[in-house]
Amino acid sequence: MLAHQMAMENPVMIRAEGVDATEFPDLASQFHVQGVPQTVINSGTGTVVGAVPEQNLLDAIQRALKN
Amino acid sequence: MDKLLDDQIIQQIGEAFAQLKEPVQILFFGSRTQCDYCAEVQQLLEEVATTHDKVNVTVYDIQADRELADQYHVDKAPTIVVAAADGSQISNLGIQFSGIPSGHEFATLLNDIMMVSSRDSGLSAEVREFLKHLNQPLLLQVFVTPT
Repeated sequence: MLAHQMAMENPVMIRAEGVDATEFPDLASQFHVQGVPQTVINSGTGTVVGAVPEQNLLDAIQRALKN
Repeated sequence: MDKLLDDQIIQQIGEAFAQLKEPVQILFFGSRTQCDYCAEVQQLLEEVATTHDKVNVTVYDIQADRELADQYHVDKAPTIVVAAADGSQISNLGIQFSGIPSGHEFATLLNDIMMVSSRDSGLSAEVREFLKHLNQPLLLQVFVTPT
């Protein structure tokens, strides 16, 4: 999982949680998860739908962190 | 409970794990009070751990082991943490999964174990550079629907 790979590079700052939307539907609906996989960045500051390449997730993270 | 993983799967996992380098610690957080599938997930992890001596599982309860759960930022059960073990030292790598690791997510779990064992994320140099220099917290929650 790409997010897990990223966490490994800086575990002090980064945490990556895979979440089973079937077991935790309330959490999924809190973030309006419709298509999986969906990556929610910093509790909703950013979001990426689908399995994307490293650079795409990185771009989304950089955008989210600027907010 | 019957075995969850048949002999053929156990053998295949053993073959994939033949390349394992460094030890991996799986921390399983269950809940005795509210968790339909905790027993199955725990058993699944224990069966995976039998395939290689570098893979070990420790079992915790999110209520009884509240302090440890907080340390690992675990607030729901079942949650699987994949950490690095070096001697008696366990290093939290920020890698966790909450829910039932079935279907595609089972492959993800095995890949996480192999990645942690290699102690190498496999990411490109540019992405590593950015992440290593990150000085603000980043939480990535990846919602999936295991089949």
